[in-house]
Amino acid sequence: MTFEQKKHLHYQLLALTGEVDLHNSPQVRKQLLDIVESGSSVIVDFSALSYIDSSGIATLVETYNLAKNKHLSLTIVGATGAPLQVMELTHLNKVFPMIDSLDEIKG
Amino acid sequence: MLTVFMTKVKTKIEHLGDSGLGIVESSGRLGVFLFNTLSRLWMYRFPLEETIKQLLFIGARTVPLILISGLFTGMVVALQFYDTLIRFGSVDLLGAAVAMSLIRELGPVMAALMVIARVGSATCAEIGIMRNEQQFDALDCMAIDSFHYVMLPRLLAAIISVPLLTAMFDTFGIGGGYIVGVLIHGVSDGAFLVGMADTIVWNDVWMGIVKSFLFGLVIMTVCMSKGFYLHIEQKQSGAVGVSQATTQAVVLSAVLMLFVDYIVSSLML
Amino acid sequence: MTSSNQSIIEVKNLVTHYGDRNILKDINFSVEKGEIRVIMGGSGSGKSTLLNHMLALLTPTSGSIVIDGVDVVNANRKTLLKLRQKMGVAFQGGALFSSMTVGENIKLPLQHHTKLDEHTIDIMTRLKLELMNLAGYEDLMPSELSGGMLKRAGLARAVIMDPKLLFFDEPSAGLDPVTAVELDELILKLRDAMNMTIIVVTHELESAFKIADKITVLFDGEIAITGTVDEIKNSKDIRIQNMINRRARDEHLDADEYIKRLTTGKN
Repeated sequence: MTFEQKKHLHYQLLALTGEVDLHNSPQVRKQLLDIVESGSSVIVDFSALSYIDSSGIATLVETYNLAKNKHLSLTIVGATGAPLQVMELTHLNKVFPMIDSLDEIKG
Repeated sequence: MLTVFMTKVKTKIEHLGDSGLGIVESSGRLGVFLFNTLSRLWMYRFPLEETIKQLLFIGARTVPLILISGLFTGMVVALQFYDTLIRFGSVDLLGAAVAMSLIRELGPVMAALMVIARVGSATCAEIGIMRNEQQFDALDCMAIDSFHYVMLPRLLAAIISVPLLTAMFDTFGIGGGYIVGVLIHGVSDGAFLVGMADTIVWNDVWMGIVKSFLFGLVIMTVCMSKGFYLHIEQKQSGAVGVSQATTQAVVLSAVLMLFVDYIVSSLML
Repeated sequence: MTSSNQSIIEVKNLVTHYGDRNILKDINFSVEKGEIRVIMGGSGSGKSTLLNHMLALLTPTSGSIVIDGVDVVNANRKTLLKLRQKMGVAFQGGALFSSMTVGENIKLPLQHHTKLDEHTIDIMTRLKLELMNLAGYEDLMPSELSGGMLKRAGLARAVIMDPKLLFFDEPSAGLDPVTAVELDELILKLRDAMNMTIIVVTHELESAFKIADKITVLFDGEIAITGTVDEIKNSKDIRIQNMINRRARDEHLDADEYIKRLTTGKN
């Protein structure tokens, strides 16, 4: 799993590639929490993500909650395949804003 | 007629043989169980949290029982010795007599019996029920070592608690003896206490410690093993098996404890 | 779920004994990745024994069991440990530990095998509880739960580490029909969303036909057939037809013997 962070408009974009599981989700957690702690809303790019397990989902939930408390946002873009099915299984697709492409985000 | 008789004799002997083999098998299982449990001490980290929880259950919650039984035992011992010593005019030896009997023999044995009654039976039942409900299978499948997670903490808590409980029993017992001897029957308190201090040597106390340590080891090993091997050793499973195992565990640990008592006494006296 | 299908479980020539009794007699079958396999059989057919051997709780007399590339019978402790973290097992009565709360029970594998943050573990536990319709029950003790809830809590614990393989021992036993159906649907959902390979040991026909990709039927320690639901339904084997149509075993009644048994109690 690799991740890349860059700025998109006034958001911080975190693009995940590969598989997020028990072993590497702490790294993702640290990255996401740092972004929100520093006061920025975050977009997580799922397009290159092939698999995410419950620890990854739990990390997203924790980040979303922290963001909400700070009046920031967490958005998911490009979810497909297994990750999308997990979001549906956990009903989180009804909680997190989920968009298909970055174009849908206006400045 | 003769053949019928011979068959009956042969069957009885076969049963005897089976029982003998059964005893050898169980003893072996017990030994292997003890080794397995102790080996987890060097195989994994020390189970601090779980041991402390068990210290609470095995040690702390047995204290009230120890207090009462220690007190009454001390009082009875003092009464008996007073009655005898007064006939020889040696009532001043009461303190020493009470303390000696308690520290070397009665303390360890009685405290161990209280532990068997309260902790031994409960632990055997607990482990037996875990076996019945496939909880050990679940631990195995979760790759959690049952000996490290379940057995070792209980064994460690026992070998720490039982000597401490024995010491408390001795203390309350001597206190009870003091109440009977000095407060009720008017023996000189100086004679009681000084006589005790003068006569008891370090070897007596050491004997009490060694005995109580071994008793804790024996009791916990037997009771846990009987529960753990329930599915192999008992003829019936389920609740009946658990009660059979518990009865056997209590009896066996008491008998083994007395056996160890004799061995240690003969070696250390 | 096609693409590259290699067997994730391969059982070859498995023979087992209990004391002197021969329980399983030369069992051969394989399960593909992502498959839901139901193992069926009457009592005494050996299906529980087969499950216990696959879980490496028992050692066979001969034969091999290979799970995810690991020879389970001969594996050393460390290899077996790593494999077991990828396997979840839901036992018949839940097999929860009575001294801990439901939540603590479910968290246990995570606390022992991972270094995840406490917050992450808590949310993961609650995610699984929600999935099993046990939301809000995490602080209860197992003794406060009904039979159906215990099973679901046991299942939550079995899947807490998102295992590749899930083994389910008699999921529907003792459940009311509505809960049983919900559990069936949960099994299907788990396979689809988490790409799990699921082995279910059961004797409930309806559940089996609903969820199975393939069914393996055991009689007296031998495999009668391994096939799809349709293949089973169309099987010419009389034992299978009896099982499907819920016919009792054919027993020949001798009138005189019967009367003798009734009146004298002697066989």
